[in-house]
Parts: sequence; structure tokens; C-alpha cells
Amino acid sequence: MIELPELVAGGLAAGTLSALALGGSLVRSRRQKAALRAEVTELRAQLEGAEGAFITEVEHLAARRMPAAAAQLAHPHLRVPGPARQHTPGTPTGIALEYVLTALREELSAQRTRIDAAAQAGLRGATREIQAALYRLQDALRGLQQRYDDPELAQTLFALDHENEQSLRRAQVAAVVCGAWVGLAREESHVVDAVTGGQARLSGYHRIQVNNHLEPGTALVSHAVEPVAIIVAELLDNALRHSAPDTDVVVNLEHVHHGVCVTVDDAGLGMTQDERARAQRLVAGSDPILLTDLGDPPRMGLAAIGQLTRQFDLSVDVSSPSPYGGVRAVLRVDSHLLGRIDPGERPPSVSAPRSTRERAARREAVRERAVRETAVRETPVPQTAVHEAAVPESALPEIASAESPVPAAPAPAGPAAEHERAPAPGHEQPGDLGGLPQRRRRHRAAAPGAPEPQQAARRPEEAAAALAALQYGTAAARAPKRASAPEPQRTDDEGGAAR
Amino acid sequence: MTGRRGGRPLVPAYLSTGGVARPSRPHLERLTVLTRDGTPLPAGLPAAELALLELLSGGALTVVEAAALLRLPFSAVRVLAADLVDRDLVQARAPIPPAERFDPDLLKRVADGLRALKHQ
Repeated sequence: MIELPELVAGGLAAGTLSALALGGSLVRSRRQKAALRAEVTELRAQLEGAEGAFITEVEHLAARRMPAAAAQLAHPHLRVPGPARQHTPGTPTGIALEYVLTALREELSAQRTRIDAAAQAGLRGATREIQAALYRLQDALRGLQQRYDDPELAQTLFALDHENEQSLRRAQVAAVVCGAWVGLAREESHVVDAVTGGQARLSGYHRIQVNNHLEPGTALVSHAVEPVAIIVAELLDNALRHSAPDTDVVVNLEHVHHGVCVTVDDAGLGMTQDERARAQRLVAGSDPILLTDLGDPPRMGLAAIGQLTRQFDLSVDVSSPSPYGGVRAVLRVDSHLLGRIDPGERPPSVSAPRSTRERAARREAVRERAVRETAVRETPVPQTAVHEAAVPESALPEIASAESPVPAAPAPAGPAAEHERAPAPGHEQPGDLGGLPQRRRRHRAAAPGAPEPQQAARRPEEAAAALAALQYGTAAARAPKRASAPEPQRTDDEGGAAR
Repeated sequence: MTGRRGGRPLVPAYLSTGGVARPSRPHLERLTVLTRDGTPLPAGLPAAELALLELLSGGALTVVEAAALLRLPFSAVRVLAADLVDRDLVQARAPIPPAERFDPDLLKRVADGLRALKHQ
């Protein structure tokens, strides 16, 4: 009977062991399950968090970053905000979101250029038509100016012509900004004419003072004339606009090493550093122009200058301040755009300021001619000063007649030989010193390309005196007894009597 | 129109007078003769007036001739000339009116009268 308890004990032990083993595995599996459940919960939470974060980022992208990126194209100083969460950059999500922004920027700028090009084309077409119409109006107005001379009407026509010039300038500038040609072919013209023409297109042209230090005859080749006029007009317009109405705008035309410089100085407030940089960027013409960049209403002046400098190889600098306190703008025209016109054959417009060099050159020419004339005559003329030269010359026949061995001969010979002169030059001299017509004629003969008859400027009483003197002189020559010595005295009387 | 020699003029006419078309003296006509006395060219004149003075240095001209030579409309030159006359730099002389012909009726009556006297 011993076997039974052992068997029971063995069975019990085995049962216990298996129960223990079962219980252990049950506990383990339950624990594992709990762990798994926790993991799943955690992962789900994480997933929800990530999804939430992604949605937040996308919402942030749509609400903040994309509008900012779009606005930044027009206003580069704007800052595009970063992702909503700090640790997003660098993650695949962050990188993908940046791609979105880049693509948006590219597409937007392409759209912008397209739309702007369409706007420019529209504006270009419209301004072309307007410009052509204004030129026709200009022709009509100038025809009327020639035809009618009633002062009131002429005043109105001048005012209309000026208004027309200003409208023309605006239309032309708008067209040029939109990439059109300047719209008018001119022939080779004086530089000073182009500058003065530009000046005439502005409302405040009275305030502009042009100093021309160029060699007379310095000209622009035909295709550069209108661009230079437009650029000068725009620079002057800026200068006039940004300076007080009681100040002058000074323009200087000077030769420089490789061409000609037009310097525009105003006495205004000047520009800040930013404005100056922007202006310099615009006039350099290196960036393509978008109308939307020019503001509303668009400020086209500098942009037009930029277009023209690029197209015509001119250069404009607005980066330096003026010694007068405002802005100094310098337009440089290189020598390959310059030519020469004979100023005698085609003088610059009468309204264009004279060259300071011309005056010096003319003075020199007159002096040379005076010296040459005295040398040709081989007569000792005591005064050699230019403006005095004519007076002693007019006295010459008289001196000769006084010294002549044949007393009667010179008197009639004088007027005959001096066919260029008024009759009997010697006779009227005592009474009319100072206002002598001969003197003017000397200058006149000196003036190039104007061979003019002897029509001297004289008052009727002077003419009467001269003719009386002639009569007296011929009468004196016919009378053999008359001596030359008392002649001057008599003419003196006669001149007095004739008056 | 004048000044068309070089195409469309670059510098409009109003610039020569500073936009003024009403002359300071009313009596200048197209055929008024302008003469300059011999005083040297003064400094500080507007460019267009200087050009007119230089033109007159060559002798007397009518206003309309000066206008043609300066390539300006008559109304502008009239303003320039009036200003120069005001400054005593230029003399203006009224145009010579066309000679008046005698009335043939009057002459006939005078002749008749003379004949009548002779026959008496």
C-alpha cells in the first residue's frame, strides 16, 4: 500500500508543477499582452500627434507661409515665416514643404512676368497711338504759330504747344518703359539742342539754367538724339520735382575724356541711401522692368532712363550727392555717339545757350581778322583794339586825301573805290563818332558766310547827313580851286546843318 | 514751316521767349525795320535775344526777315525785338507806308482850273 500515496504524491507533484508552469505562462502572456497594448496605445497616440503636427504645418503653410512667399516677390523686404514647429526643418516633411514654397515662387514669378508683358503690350500700343496723335497736333500748332500773329492768339498757341510737349513726354516715356522705340527719328543734331529740347518739355523750364561748355558743333549721331533728349528731360524733371520752386537747376555740358557729360545739379533735399541705391539700380537698366514694380501711379522716369541707357549704350549716374545739397545726375555720352556739325552751316537753335568756347573763339577770330586787315592795308593805324579798328579805317581816306599831292582826286575816288561803304565815309565822321555805320559793317564782314550789301544800320537823319556830305564832296571835287585842308571843317558844319 | 530744314525742330519756339507771346510794346509790325546801334553785345541777355542782336549787327532787317533767319515764328521775334527796344539796344522804325497816289480827279480839276486861267 506504499505505492498508492507515492503515486498520489507523484501525481500531485506533477499536477502542481504543470499548474505552476501553466500559471506562469499564463501570467507571462497576460503581461505581454498588456505590454503590447500599451505599445499600441502609445503608437496610436504618437501617430495622432504626428498627424496633428503635419496638419498644423500644412495649415500654417497655407495660411501664413504661402501668402508671405507670394508677397515677398513684390516686396523683397518681407520675411517668410518658418514652419510652425521648431523641429520640422530638416525632416522629410519640412523638406517637402519647402518644395511647395519653391514651386509656388517660380510659378508666381512666371505668371507675373506674363501678366506684366501683356500689360506692357497694351500700354505700348495705346501710347504709340497717343504719341503719333500728339505729333500731329504739334505740327498743327506750329503751323498756326507761323500763320497767326495776334498776341493773344500767339500766347495761347505757345501755351498749347508747351502743354502738348509735356503730354508728349509722358506718352513717350510710358512707351519707352514698355519696351517701345523712342518713336521719332531725328537727324544728327547739336548736343546743346538735344538738351534744350529736353528742357522745353518740362513745366518748370524757367528754373533750368544751362551752361554750355562744349566745342561749337559738337553733335549727336542721329539715333542718339531723341534718347538723350528724353533722358535729360527725365533727369531734369526729377531735379525740378525734388527741389524748392525758388531754386535753380543747373545743367553743365562738358567734354570729358571719352565723350561728353551732361551734369544736372539740383538744390533739393537729396535722396536717402536706399532711394539712391534703388535709383541707381533703375537707371543702370540691368534688371528687366516690371510695371508692377514701379508703384501706383507708376514712376516711370528712372525706368525709362534705364531702358534707354541699356539700348543706346549711354550711362547715367545718380549715386553722388550734389554740392548744392540735392542730387547730382550725370549723363555720359561716349564719343562713338558723337559727331560734328558745322555750326556756320547749321547753327544750333537760337534758344540754345551759346557755348562759352564759341565766344572765346569768336573774339580770337575777330582779333585775327583785324590784325590781318590792318596788315593788308599797310597803313599805320594807331589803334589796334578790335572794336576801335573800324573808326581809324573809316578815317583813312581822309588822311590819304590830306596827304595826297593831288588835292582834288581822292574825294570822288573815295566813295567810288569804297563801293562797299556808304557814301563819303570821311565826311560824316566828325559829327557821328561813336555811332558810325562802318564799324558795324566791319563786324558784319567779319561774320562768316554772310556777304551782305552795305545796308548800314542808320537813322534817317544820319542818312540825310551822309547824302548831303556826298553831294558836297562831289561838288568839291569838281571845283578845282578847293583844297583838301578845310574840308573837315566844312563837313562838320554841313553835318550839323543836315541834322 | 520754318525750321523744317532739319526735320521736326527739337527746340520749340516758346522757349526763345520763355513762353511769352505778348510783346511789351504793341507797335511792332511785320515790316518794322530793326536796327542796332554799335554798342557791344551786352552780357546776360537770353540766348535768343543775343542771336537777334548778332543778326542785326549785319545791318537793318525787318522783323519778319529776322524771324525767317532765326527760324522762329514772327510772334516770338516780336517779343524779343520789343524787349531789345526797351533796353535801348535796338531801334525800331515803322514800316514805310506805300506811297499814296494822287487822286486823278483832283489832278484833273487842277489841270482844268489851270487851263481855264490860261484862257482867261
